Amino acid sequence: MNTEEQEERPPLFKKWRTWYRLVIGCLVLLILFFYFLTKHFS
Amino acid sequence: MSRPDWIILVLTLLGVIAYGLYKSRTSRDLDGYFLANRMVPWYMVLLGIMGTQASAVTFLSAPGQAYTDGMRFVQYYFGLPLAMVVLCITFVPAFHKLKIYTAYEFLEQRFDLKTRTLTSFLFLLQRGLSTGISISAPSIILSSLLGWDIVWTNIFMGGLLIIYTVTGGAKAVAYTQQLQLIIIFGGMFVAGYMVVHRLPEGVGFSEALHLGGKAGKLNIITTGIDGKGFSWNDRYNLFSGIIGGFFLALSYFGTDQSQVGRYLTARSVSESRLGLLMNGLVKVPMQFLILLVGVLVFAFYQFNPEPVFFNQSQLDKLAKSKYKDSLIVLERSYAETERLRTSTVAAPTAPQLAEIVSAKAGYRSTIKRWLNDVGGDDNDTNYIFLRFVTDYLPKGLVGLLIAVIFLAAWGSIAATLNSLSSCTIVDFHRRFSRPLSPEKEFRLSRVYTFFWGVFCVAVAQLAYNLGNSLIEAVNVLGSLFYGVILGIFLVAFYRKKVGATAVFISAIIIEALVILLNVLSRKGIISLSFLWFNVVGAAGVVLLSEAIQLISSKLNTRHKD
Repeated sequence: MNTEEQEERPPLFKKWRTWYRLVIGCLVLLILFFYFLTKHFS
Repeated sequence: MSRPDWIILVLTLLGVIAYGLYKSRTSRDLDGYFLANRMVPWYMVLLGIMGTQASAVTFLSAPGQAYTDGMRFVQYYFGLPLAMVVLCITFVPAFHKLKIYTAYEFLEQRFDLKTRTLTSFLFLLQRGLSTGISISAPSIILSSLLGWDIVWTNIFMGGLLIIYTVTGGAKAVAYTQQLQLIIIFGGMFVAGYMVVHRLPEGVGFSEALHLGGKAGKLNIITTGIDGKGFSWNDRYNLFSGIIGGFFLALSYFGTDQSQVGRYLTARSVSESRLGLLMNGLVKVPMQFLILLVGVLVFAFYQFNPEPVFFNQSQLDKLAKSKYKDSLIVLERSYAETERLRTSTVAAPTAPQLAEIVSAKAGYRSTIKRWLNDVGGDDNDTNYIFLRFVTDYLPKGLVGLLIAVIFLAAWGSIAATLNSLSSCTIVDFHRRFSRPLSPEKEFRLSRVYTFFWGVFCVAVAQLAYNLGNSLIEAVNVLGSLFYGVILGIFLVAFYRKKVGATAVFISAIIIEALVILLNVLSRKGIISLSFLWFNVVGAAGVVLLSEAIQLISSKLNTRHKD
């Protein structure tokens, strides 16, 4: 991790990596939710 | 429109302009005018990014898209959250570190002046023209539906925002986008509620979804794979959405100054990152909800008479053509079918619904064939939602929803005018003319913003006069250039050994290849959806520049030996 990243710590979590995982995780959950909706209403 | 609608429309628009002017005080230099003194908090960065991306057509077209083609369009946005992550890791820290005004300044520092100038020029060309279309498209729809004069609609759509954009620059754009999005989301929520409210007794939200599902409108996830394998020409599916959508979003948010200019206004790298990541979290659900309104409108029309064609001005055109007598017969026959359908539709089975849909499709295809024959516009997707609004929503709400269309257009256009002006002065005027004082640069920036505003309104007028062919051409223009521009930036960030000449030559060769692919695709020789052009452009520039650099290095080594 470079100096700039150490200076700018993210809110809520210790590392930005956790934010990135959160965004990707939410996308995966949304796709699964949409898949369920598609199947349920088809 | 009724008097209450006019009052609400005018008050809302004037309120936004007044708010923009009130918030427009800023320091009289480029930092203040283009970057709001780099003091914007993350939530305003988020609203700025969303307001810039969501044009008027987003709110007009998406519900119509769901109505006709189902909700699979939402997959187009699946690559966006992934692109936000890549931007936060690479692009944002680099742009902030260099304290640049435009994304293209970075290219001169990494490569050379010619690469920067070429990329900035491509942006100005493509954005200047496409912004004119952003004004023209909703203006044509409003003038057709409400009978407004197209010239005045264009001037109001594109002209009024010039007042606060010229005066207040990026700060006024950021604050008005905040207010605009609140009104837009409020308006869309009320519209969605009103659709469900107007469904017959005993039919609620859940039943409406089941009805939409039976008709195939809840096709949210599709794979694009049929009996013959994967269809490369299928526009919206899981794979084109994630891969093609990722490259498109990375290109749009990472290299298009209208977006880069929004997150450069943030007060720190963290605020930029948070704005972008939040966009990654909320964009897909937001688009899902807008599309859902279209499915609800579809369910509504299963219990109410549906127009045979939603663009009344085109039916009026047919009524004056050689098809006028045939049209009368068709409309009578269609009205009878609709009367029978709406009286028996309470709980249709899937086969019944399929039969109804098939019969109605027959009437519509006849209308479309006649329109093609008389040179009319056979696509009424963009008119579906607004036609429902004007026909069925109560007085006052119609004015609010028309205001939503204006505000959505303004949010997007204002940010673009600001970015067009910043590129003109920073990438061209500053670079090729004698130095000016900060005060003179500030005043010149206002002049350029005004110039681009007038230019875009003029393009909007031209687009109307030339018809659909130009609109299609300009829409294709964006997808042709985005991939190559992204490729240049990807090489800049990730391939440190590749030099300026290699990337410049690669960009020109791959651009020619993408244009060739588009020509072949349009002639039906190959099947390739436009989203894949972004992948070809970006990957092509990265791979070819790497190869050219390798060959060039080997030749140089041999020459030295």
